[in-house]
Amino acid sequence: MTLSAAPMPTRKACSLRMVERGQKSDFAVFESDIGYSTYSYLFGEKYPERYFNFGIAEVSTMAAAAGMASSGRTVVICGYGVFLTMRALEIARSFVCYPKLDVKILSSHGGVTAAIDGVTHQATEDIAFMTTLPNMKVLCPCDTVSAGAMFDLAMATPGPVFVRLMRDPLFELYGKEAEFRLGGSSIARKGRDITIAAYGDMVFEALATADSLSGKGVEAEVMDLYSIKPLDMPGLLASIERTGALLVVENHQSRNGLGAFIGDSLARAGVRVPYDHIGLEETFAESGDYRGVLETYGLCSSHIEAVCRRLFAAKSDSR
Amino acid sequence: MSENAAYRIKELEAKAAQLRFHIVDMVYRAQSGHCGGSLSAADIVAALYFEVMNIDASNPGWSERDRFVLSKGHACPVQYGALAMKGFFPLEELGTLRKLHSRLQGHPVAGKLPGIEVTSGSLGVGFCEAIGLALDAKLRKGGWHVWALLGDGELNEGAVWEAAQAGAKFGLDNITAIVDQNGLQNDGYCQDIMPSGSIAGKFRSFGWETVEIDGHDMAAVVNALRQAAGAGGQPTCIVAKTVKGKGVSFMENKREWHGKAPNEAEYARATLELKGGRQ
Repeated sequence: MTLSAAPMPTRKACSLRMVERGQKSDFAVFESDIGYSTYSYLFGEKYPERYFNFGIAEVSTMAAAAGMASSGRTVVICGYGVFLTMRALEIARSFVCYPKLDVKILSSHGGVTAAIDGVTHQATEDIAFMTTLPNMKVLCPCDTVSAGAMFDLAMATPGPVFVRLMRDPLFELYGKEAEFRLGGSSIARKGRDITIAAYGDMVFEALATADSLSGKGVEAEVMDLYSIKPLDMPGLLASIERTGALLVVENHQSRNGLGAFIGDSLARAGVRVPYDHIGLEETFAESGDYRGVLETYGLCSSHIEAVCRRLFAAKSDSR
Repeated sequence: MSENAAYRIKELEAKAAQLRFHIVDMVYRAQSGHCGGSLSAADIVAALYFEVMNIDASNPGWSERDRFVLSKGHACPVQYGALAMKGFFPLEELGTLRKLHSRLQGHPVAGKLPGIEVTSGSLGVGFCEAIGLALDAKLRKGGWHVWALLGDGELNEGAVWEAAQAGAKFGLDNITAIVDQNGLQNDGYCQDIMPSGSIAGKFRSFGWETVEIDGHDMAAVVNALRQAAGAGGQPTCIVAKTVKGKGVSFMENKREWHGKAPNEAEYARATLELKGGRQ
């Protein structure tokens, strides 16, 4: 499967849609001095009266967003995942999620996509924190089209929404006509032997794995779980029904990530298929080039392929 | 002061005394809650609710209303009492404080009780939320004022100073911070736990207009609040020197009455003092 290179990272694509939508909607954008990195500055240039830069102060930025949203105005808050989901976590929990306010969090540098910046800037626990919060919805696009769509989806969804974005451009998966919905998913590649479910950059690792497996007689189905919460369980179950095995891959801690949640959900639903999930295993990552870090920590197609083959074999054994 | 003005001050003092009774009464009935910091703020809150703020109990969501944020959310008995006295909800409901399914949560929760603007209670956060409310008022070109009541212990929180710098940067002359400086926090005297230095001096250096008053001198309180609402160009901070537990002799300036409920004998003694009009 040949994919074209993305012209921009999802963080920029999402912000561009935000600027576009600023024309007809009166939402405000809050920033904590990384506007040139989140590309929120583009909104500030166009709508200076609705753009508020609080300086390097994520706690007050999130809390002031809660205050403004209490007045009935939607606030989009832009920043890095590590700060938004950890330094400002309590604010997101008690003052955004508890009162179900219309605060939309555009969170860049999700996972080790900020590999080069090192651990302080790699949000590798953000999905765990955000999916745990009642009332919070969690989305993660993988390319330019889906990044714009996730912004629209976040705005169209009442209450708090977290959108995980990436630092660097990867590939384009979706055409302009693609449709997305809250609680939806997309089959990026059809297959019959095993389902590889992923979100964000790992969708592309999964696709590369499927390509490689295909030459070896294993047809993997690749699902893009862009709606992490709520999750498309019916879609996922239907895929497992067809393939009989599941591997979840995520650029996140393995513990308490989406993979762990899916495993738990399958067990509770009584679905028994060969299953595993890949993520960071009780470790932080480190600085380095993106590919090098992915390979060092097993978030790459060679490792995904090895696990797929094990699951595929287990499936054959159990039949 | 004119005779009318003097009479009005007396009326407000009577309201504050009544409010103090409700504070002790509801915390006694809940057998949980914060008397000390509620009592210290009673004069300020009475002045706001019964004299200064533009609010309508029959229309709590009125778009032009002044917004009050209790950043020191643990002192919610003082706000609940004022709201009930004002008619936002029945006085009898004060007896449900902190009980299961009550609208009177342990710390203020927006959307549950009429008159509560934002959820607060995690110290430092309410003040930041108030900044957001004031920014929104500016965007709407609204004429209403935002009032944030903070404790002096609360000033330990870094977020307070993030909010202070934002208030000045954005030229929020539609917000007033009132610091209820009762000198005590949970573990002891503020001076010992984490000295604030000059609170007014700090706010001034952050770009705020400041006023220092006796927070139990009703005429001074009303005067300072009125002037703050009319200030132009920059936000105002009123540093109100108060006594924690004010109005109940055995609670005054006592650390242990920060978050303790009176027993039956203490309740009897406190209410006797408050009904006797002791200020």
